[in-house]
Amino acid sequence: MTAITGDLKLPKERGKAQVWAVKALPVVVRWVGAIGGALLIFSILLMIKGTNPIDAYADMWASTFTRSASIEEIFTRMTPLVLAALAVAVPARAGLTNVGGEGQIIMGGVAACGAYLFLGDAMAPAVLLVAMVAASVVVGALWAGLAAVLRLAAGVNEAISTLLLNFIALDVLLFLIYQPWRESRTGQPATQELTDLAKLPVVAGTAVNVGIVVAVVLVVAVQVLLTRTRWGFRVSVAGGNAEAARRSGLKVAFLVLSALMIGGALAGLAGMIQFSGVEYKLRPSFGHQLGYIAFLACWLARHKPFPILLASFVFAALSVGGDSLQLDSGVPAASIYVLTALILIAVLGFTTPRKKTT
Amino acid sequence: MSLIVDVLSGGVRGGTSIMYAGLGETVSERSGVINLGTEGSMLVGALGAYAVGVETGSPWVGVLAGAAAGGLLALLHAYLVVRRGASQFASGLTLLFLALGLTSLFGASYVGQPVVGFDRWDVPLLSDIPFVGPILFQQDPLLYLSYFMVPLVWFVLFKTRIGLLIRTAGERSDSLTVHGYSVQTWRMIAVTVGGCLAGIGGAHLSTAYANAWFENMVAGRGFIAVALVIFAVWSPFRVMGGAYLFGTAIALGPALQARGYEINQFLLDAVPFVLTLVVLTVLGKKTLSSSPAELKRVFENAPPAT
Repeated sequence: MTAITGDLKLPKERGKAQVWAVKALPVVVRWVGAIGGALLIFSILLMIKGTNPIDAYADMWASTFTRSASIEEIFTRMTPLVLAALAVAVPARAGLTNVGGEGQIIMGGVAACGAYLFLGDAMAPAVLLVAMVAASVVVGALWAGLAAVLRLAAGVNEAISTLLLNFIALDVLLFLIYQPWRESRTGQPATQELTDLAKLPVVAGTAVNVGIVVAVVLVVAVQVLLTRTRWGFRVSVAGGNAEAARRSGLKVAFLVLSALMIGGALAGLAGMIQFSGVEYKLRPSFGHQLGYIAFLACWLARHKPFPILLASFVFAALSVGGDSLQLDSGVPAASIYVLTALILIAVLGFTTPRKKTT
Repeated sequence: MSLIVDVLSGGVRGGTSIMYAGLGETVSERSGVINLGTEGSMLVGALGAYAVGVETGSPWVGVLAGAAAGGLLALLHAYLVVRRGASQFASGLTLLFLALGLTSLFGASYVGQPVVGFDRWDVPLLSDIPFVGPILFQQDPLLYLSYFMVPLVWFVLFKTRIGLLIRTAGERSDSLTVHGYSVQTWRMIAVTVGGCLAGIGGAHLSTAYANAWFENMVAGRGFIAVALVIFAVWSPFRVMGGAYLFGTAIALGPALQARGYEINQFLLDAVPFVLTLVVLTVLGKKTLSSSPAELKRVFENAPPAT
């Protein structure tokens, strides 16, 4: 009998390896084809504009990856993306769509600036930074919590409310920097620049602010939170089937509220780091598009913390590459969004097998 | 009195691009697809109309080009979400960035170029009506077109077979299948038509409202349109009213400032979004229950029924 079962098992084992190879090959082909297609289409567009695409790519590669200043810039730019992408990933585990990273980042920056303006002189520098972080985390969480409360109390869908809150946050920012917090009535609408003591320190030996360390630590923390804690388990149960979760005694309302608020806190922190580590003052363009790019980075990473690091790195590198496009090839920097979008479309539409639909 | 007329006529003028985009989004969402790329369709529509207007000297040819550009972008969204099963939010935002990049790449050479745009054309007789005349009938021809577009969209959606098919794709897609129609085809048609309308909205912005092209000139109006459709509970006529309401809120600030009132523009700019949130809150679950059923599934992250 044992001999027979042994014989029966063997082909199954062999089959597994074959299945893996058969499965992996098309996936690799798909990804290479998709990314290659995106690069090709962007080349054609550059050619239409009279730019030699090969030179443009070569210049982009050279000035993005061969200069240490550029590599530092990539890490600086990926930090808020990582945090804001985590801000999408945590609520996503609870089945919630947080499109509000943009607004939560802005409110985080506003809160950090507010803490600086009201406490600036009175506090020791280390305490000041802590106060700015605390303010941004709390305000970011409350801003997202607003969407959670609207959902729980009135049944307003959080994808809509977080999206709407983005624009309200932007108007709050503009209101503040055009009037009450404006540095001078004549100059550009912006707040005064932070003193050096209120700027985030840099990682020793580099120009990258310590935000990147915080971001990496939080990626690990979120991974642990989602996969190794009771809360993470409950949230994913509620996200999978809210009715089943409710019937088995889980407090779904609390899980919804906490998941969105943790997301908001992470995005608020991203705003603080962008403010205190990168921009140093609030301008009308503060944090512009970071939230939406982060939403897409999170989606690209399939809402998983570790891949978020990679996706954010790619998007940050593309944005640094966009600056090169402007400096070296004379094409507007925002053109890089075409390549970013084409890569997303390629991945979005062409890396998963076609869905069976009617 | 003149202040009120100024504000209202500014509201009608400023609200028109939002109304076109809102009508388009209504058609799209009625078929069960939300398109956050509306902002992008408006952008490519604005540049398309402006560029073709500059090259041909005819604003109407420009509008056609704008509609085509907006429709093409929406078609890509439709293909990704309908045929490839992509996430509607992710796809819409992706297309927004595609439009931002494309218009930045191809628009740079059109910044500051003069265009033959739509001039004000007073409707005979009607424009002489006191109060109403200056608000509604001392505007540009593309704006007058919207007076016909609203009832047309309503008629097609609610009184024709095409509209019935589109709405069924958004409400009971399985019953379309049962009757031998393709849900996918009708959704793709609806989303593309929606994009064309958003493109016309963009065209109004660049060739009638601002008479200029500059980078990212749509500045959130496409998102206002998305909010507007929910505010208007997916009804074309309410989209019209809402667009004028939102347009008026935005026009109020500059008009007051021009008369020396100290007012911060940005509080008024937030009005459309706050109002939409308030309406959603007051109506509560009623709003979502009056939304197309398939759209509700999208919001609730439920797998598609088909």
